[in-house]
Amino acid sequence: METDSIVFHGTLQQLLEKVETGEMVPKLQASHAPMCKFFTAYYVISGIRHVVPLVHGPTGCPLYMSDFVRTRECCEIRGVPLEPTACTTLDESNVIYGGEGKLLDAAKEAYAKYHPDLIVILSCCCSGIIGDDVESIAREAEKQVGCRVLALKSEGFGGDFRSGYEDAFKLIMDLMEPPKTTMKGTINILGARWGPSPTEFNWDLDEIERLLSAIGIKVNAVIAGGCTVEQIRHAREVELNASWCYDWGQKLGDLIQQRFGVPYSRTGQPYGPEATREWLLGVATPLGMEKEASAVIERETREVEPDLAYLRQALSGKTAIIEISEFPGPIRALSLARMVEEFGAHPVVINVHPYTIKERMPSIKYILETGVNPEIILTKGLFKLGSFRSSKETEDELEAIVSGYDNPIFFGNSGRFPPCPVVNLTLMNPAFQPQYGYKGIRNIAALVRQALEYKDLPRSRLFKGMLYGAGKR
Amino acid sequence: MVPANGDEQTGRKTRSPEACSDPYLRCAFNGAALTALGVSRSALLAHSPQGCEYLVNAAFAAQECDYMETMTLCTKLCVDEIVHGGEDILARTIREVKELPIEALFVISACGPEIVGDDIAAVCETLQAEMKFRLVPIASPGFRGSQYDGIDIALDTILKQLVDGTVKRIPGSICLIAPHANANPTWPADLAWVKQVLMRLNIPVISTLTYRTPLSDIINSASAETCLVLSHDAGQKAADYLSASFGLDQVCKGIPLPIGMTNTQRWLSALGERFDTLKAADEMVAEGERMVTTTCRRKWPMARFLYRTPAAIVADATIGIPLVRFVTEEMEMTPKFIALYSGNRSVRDLLGGELKSLGLDPKIVYGTDVYTTRQGLREVVPRVVFGSTIERHAADGLGIPYVVEVVKMMRQFRMINREYFGYTGILNLFEAVQNEWTMAWRSREKRYRAKW
Repeated sequence: METDSIVFHGTLQQLLEKVETGEMVPKLQASHAPMCKFFTAYYVISGIRHVVPLVHGPTGCPLYMSDFVRTRECCEIRGVPLEPTACTTLDESNVIYGGEGKLLDAAKEAYAKYHPDLIVILSCCCSGIIGDDVESIAREAEKQVGCRVLALKSEGFGGDFRSGYEDAFKLIMDLMEPPKTTMKGTINILGARWGPSPTEFNWDLDEIERLLSAIGIKVNAVIAGGCTVEQIRHAREVELNASWCYDWGQKLGDLIQQRFGVPYSRTGQPYGPEATREWLLGVATPLGMEKEASAVIERETREVEPDLAYLRQALSGKTAIIEISEFPGPIRALSLARMVEEFGAHPVVINVHPYTIKERMPSIKYILETGVNPEIILTKGLFKLGSFRSSKETEDELEAIVSGYDNPIFFGNSGRFPPCPVVNLTLMNPAFQPQYGYKGIRNIAALVRQALEYKDLPRSRLFKGMLYGAGKR
Repeated sequence: MVPANGDEQTGRKTRSPEACSDPYLRCAFNGAALTALGVSRSALLAHSPQGCEYLVNAAFAAQECDYMETMTLCTKLCVDEIVHGGEDILARTIREVKELPIEALFVISACGPEIVGDDIAAVCETLQAEMKFRLVPIASPGFRGSQYDGIDIALDTILKQLVDGTVKRIPGSICLIAPHANANPTWPADLAWVKQVLMRLNIPVISTLTYRTPLSDIINSASAETCLVLSHDAGQKAADYLSASFGLDQVCKGIPLPIGMTNTQRWLSALGERFDTLKAADEMVAEGERMVTTTCRRKWPMARFLYRTPAAIVADATIGIPLVRFVTEEMEMTPKFIALYSGNRSVRDLLGGELKSLGLDPKIVYGTDVYTTRQGLREVVPRVVFGSTIERHAADGLGIPYVVEVVKMMRQFRMINREYFGYTGILNLFEAVQNEWTMAWRSREKRYRAKW
């Protein structure tokens, strides 16, 4: 199936090779800007309770964080208390003469005002360029206040969004103290971020914790999804680390393993029965709890057997067109590809940008190692200027691609209008969460059922016009 | 009355009071983006690292831009451009978008490129000949100040670069300034009310700086006879420039914006007097007050039960200062604590005049931040706060029963814009109070479960 609008059609492995050899340039167009290093570092740090993220920069950098992450996501949506987003408010004079003195004052003031368990100084573009030595100031401040003070060089220009997550996770390791004991049957869950409550999609994490609890496995800390400094201090006392999302947890897991010798369970996301089984056994087996885990898996599988049977019957022989977009996101989409294959469908993943391949290289390679190597299609619209999620080109291209397959079903979100059943997997609809584990199987079965049973109902002319302009019907 | 940044109350001696702040206001870069995005048939290119694009996105939403009409772009500067300069990537990006069907491309620079000395004006000048559209460089690094400073910087640059001083004056016309420097999350409704009033008074609007403003309107701004600043936080510098350079006469200067009956009456009368339409203005006042009164008679706002309740106002000066009189006169509460996001001289003078006229002596904080606000609330313990979602959470544990969200609200979503200006604005504010009043009565705990 080839059309003029297709710029790549092959496997994930082939796309990876093209990116690695430079044949496909992993560069986003000027209209696409992911988060900067500072943002993602802030996301991770703000996932620790009673922390003051002290932003050494002008007011613009922290404001997005305090409005979006702190007030809306944390306070309004998750109901946690208002926590500070402190800032040194660098001005023109500080840029000329340096802001180190102000930063030291700010750290002391932050301690006096907020009584935190931890202060993390985050540098921004300004403080990075003028060369303020945030690490020395942090060391000096720590002598003068009653809590740990760490510094993270997180200038926005200093790296892509991924580097902020990874550097922040690395910094957290500095808080981990030598173990005094071993917490039997206890793990840490790694790779979370955003706010002093559980990580961004609580439901998935809740499902993981439910299943672990059923096996008898305890969780010391979700790092950094609402964990305390105390929990991080004891993080090395666990028997094993695991991640809630391979993409975000693996770096920290590998680093803790290398530096402190705590083993890390390398597993993918628990989408579908096989990946869920692998995830649970990947954690339970090293803890010597394989038998308990198998019993839980068996019981849970039995309970969702009607849903599994439905998914096998509904998806067998179909072509599952899976679109990478903001939600569910690229790694989840690849996990979905594996899941639909398990139910007898042929997965075709469309529009995973070469930039995504570059930024998520370790995860992509891991996914390939596990034998997941779906068919991939990239279209011209992916590389055009403008808003991708509402791009008329990509919508038209998607519609054309879907028309070229027999028996297609679309896995993505309801912002697309392909001429086939649409499984609305957006993470923006809490009514069908979690997607992980056995509850996830039930939810995904329900979504597939809705898509197939109501495939002939009319789609919204209003929403389509909103997204792609008038005249699209 | 304590005109301070909150520091005089704490008694700190050694620390700089501004060293550690939890600010309400975004930076100058955001203010510049907010202004540029109010120009229709234009695009905005942020010469910045990629994170700054999120400040542009916030401005995009605040200006109600449509992504099918307005494109935002970013040079996404990395270490290489910070070390070696980013002018090449800027030029490359401008050339990349040269086919866009726009009339202007605003190039706004952030902290990084300004510190390393990228000359965005020179790049734009060099490339202008190749472009079908106008290039407008605006140097607006975040460290130049708050979002209000950014609005002033952008207005200054835009006016100096674009306004044609040779156009013919249109008698009785007006130029509207800085409607977007307003913390009402649906401020375009305030602007719409102003335009409706001006239409009824037969005062033609030459340009709006800025909201969906065609480039040609901006170019013709000097043909207005007068100008009207729609914010107490920004825009005065633009008015001064238009006055000094092109002789535009500023109207309603030094009068609180039209929130509440008295402020609206005063503001409409000033317009009526200046444009010799006092009779029409008086009619609007009478009609508006009648509408509000009869509506209240039919709907019974619960605000009437809050007589002399101690209140706090935490907002920008644009909403906050006019609210003082509205809260005191129309709602009969007693402002005990006023914390404003900004605090320039004209803001202090205006608020000072209002308080003197009303005979009030509340605790005041200018240029407040979240910590200072919470400390003020803790000290004063008002029973009602007019503020934002931030105060709802910052007031947690302080025993404050009502927080009426009127600015920067995140709890409620408005699909339809609602004004605070004018007479319907009064009803909108009563509605906000009413809804909060209902919420406060709601039981915090379920006492038992129903049997069915």
